[in-house]
Amino acid sequence: MAVVSVQGEDLVVEMEGLDKLWALKSRLTIPLANVRGATVDPGILGEPKGIRAPGTHVPKVITAGTFHHEGEKVFWAVRDAQKAVVVELADETYTRLVVEVDDPRAVVAMVEKATNR
Amino acid sequence: MGRRRSFDVDEVVEAAAELFAGRSYDGVSIDDLVKRLGVHRNSLYGVFGSKRGVYLAALRRHIDQEVRPHLARAAEPGVALTWDLLLLAAVDRAPDDAEVAELVSAVFAELDEAMGDPAATEVLLGRWLRRRPEAGRHGVPAEQDAPETAPGEGI
Repeated sequence: MAVVSVQGEDLVVEMEGLDKLWALKSRLTIPLANVRGATVDPGILGEPKGIRAPGTHVPKVITAGTFHHEGEKVFWAVRDAQKAVVVELADETYTRLVVEVDDPRAVVAMVEKATNR
Repeated sequence: MGRRRSFDVDEVVEAAAELFAGRSYDGVSIDDLVKRLGVHRNSLYGVFGSKRGVYLAALRRHIDQEVRPHLARAAEPGVALTWDLLLLAAVDRAPDDAEVAELVSAVFAELDEAMGDPAATEVLLGRWLRRRPEAGRHGVPAEQDAPETAPGEGI
């Protein structure tokens, strides 16, 4: 589970508990200017994820860490597909983040509000 | 349809507009979009950034190609307006999305101008809404030739 928040001009994604360990990352800070949008997308778990390096991938249980797929670098931290949110980025190391959050709709609304000021 | 990595953006936006015209925003998932548009999920995100990005592109296209060119003849009798996405946007998304509200309000203002009177816009929109339950999808009335005969009225 990740906690997504807006802090000043940044979007901050913090991993909680053991997910820090699986994802090998505890915190990501992205300038809001580089956030293109956020989407609730349970179906993305069914897509090919590419090669994991580094991180943890136990299919159907946990997808966490950095994945390389078709020239894109995607950060994953998801167990429960129903709670997956996709955050699309520009000019960042990661093309997109796919993270599990407690309330996907609220997170999407927050990101949209923060990026459309 | 196979999923395409590169695609004609306008073609995809047109298909998205059709999908959003028939269902509420929340009722359309990325799975639905990927399936209907026949594109890769990654490409969809890469081009539009988010579901909202796809929706805004679809609404803009709808307004530019299906609403604006018909403003002048909107009040003519017998004209079946195919503005479902616009109406749905007004009630479904405009309250939650300032950009959608702006797009919809701007078109309504243009309609006022074309009609010459805001009251005429209200009559037009009211009549359109009124007929909606009887009309089929895309605004085509179910009984276009016999508007006077309501079911049960015949002998």
